[in-house]
Amino acid sequence: MAPIPAATQPVNVKLLLIGNSSVGKSSLLLRFSDEQWLPEDESSATIGVDFRVHKMEINGKKVKLSIWDTAGQERFRTITSSYYRGAQGIILVYDVANRESFEALPRWYSELETYVSSSVVKILVGNKVDKEFSRQVSTAEGEKFASRMSSLFIETSAKTAVGVTDAFQEVVEKILATPELWESANSRSQATGSGGGGMPGGVQIVGLREEPRQDAGCGC
Amino acid sequence: MPTELPYAADAEMSLTYDELDVLRLQYLKEVAQDHVTTQTKFNYAWGLVKSPMREHQVEGVRLLQEIYRTEPARRRECLYYLALGHYKMGNFEEARKFNALLLEKEPTNMQAQSLGQLIDKGVTRGKFQKPSTCLCVNPPTEGYIGMALAGGAAAIGTLLIAGLIRRAHRK
Repeated sequence: MAPIPAATQPVNVKLLLIGNSSVGKSSLLLRFSDEQWLPEDESSATIGVDFRVHKMEINGKKVKLSIWDTAGQERFRTITSSYYRGAQGIILVYDVANRESFEALPRWYSELETYVSSSVVKILVGNKVDKEFSRQVSTAEGEKFASRMSSLFIETSAKTAVGVTDAFQEVVEKILATPELWESANSRSQATGSGGGGMPGGVQIVGLREEPRQDAGCGC
Repeated sequence: MPTELPYAADAEMSLTYDELDVLRLQYLKEVAQDHVTTQTKFNYAWGLVKSPMREHQVEGVRLLQEIYRTEPARRRECLYYLALGHYKMGNFEEARKFNALLLEKEPTNMQAQSLGQLIDKGVTRGKFQKPSTCLCVNPPTEGYIGMALAGGAAAIGTLLIAGLIRRAHRK
């Protein structure tokens, strides 16, 4: 089985953003996908989950990213778990100026253990480095924790755009270089009957968008 | 490179049967104990609204409306999923009403903006696209449902006529 389709068909990749509330998950996504940033008083807490499709090219390969942005609030914890299905990359975000968001990471990692296979690519992102003056977590500390959790590591600022593109790029590169992700994804997509050229997650959702409500009618 | 159109993810992605069952069982357990927490009720309502089945969506919206009335702290989330539920049922006017209430409180909320675009598209699609032929039990609102009813009636009419012709042939 070829790990990655050789044709010009874009490769579909599903990424999930997780982490405490207010660490800047949605801001990272907005910066990455629309090159924008909203000041704190204008941005609102994510309700349940948000979603964006973004196309990029890596080493000449077309990639279609579907990025799922989950609510960080505790009360959404039980329901957002269903979004882990089919994810090949997880972006765990904390705020370098908020110690609590860093200390919550072990809980997020243990949730990951429950829902995704160990081959899923993880990157730890220390966001808000523009708040250098009020930093509560050092770069070294973040790096050390990331390597203990076998995750990639980067520091970013959604506000100034530092590191944002690199964060997404690194995850996708590593996903493309991890064949088991494609194999397990294939069997999973068969199990859910999603087809879509043997590609998982994202394909299924993008396909559904074009023909809504086709799968089960209206139950009448 | 820009993203594709903003998109309300919850609109089309439903839970697996097992996932919805977990939420349902928790809800029923608490109903049996006569003490339903808002969180459990909200989770179940959320799962129902995401379902492709109309009776699930109706029940989900009903539960969300209860939470909306009794739990002011959960109103913004309820508004969003109420709008989503009505959108999925094809009640675009209702959907727009709830979404507008959310946008009134949070004008820059991108999820509400994105859902608003879906609702607008739904209205247009309802007017110009060939509807599915299912008999949805709902007052005809924005054309979509009305046309679905008409389509369903047409389908039944065709069946009846076909039956009559066949019977006439047999004689």
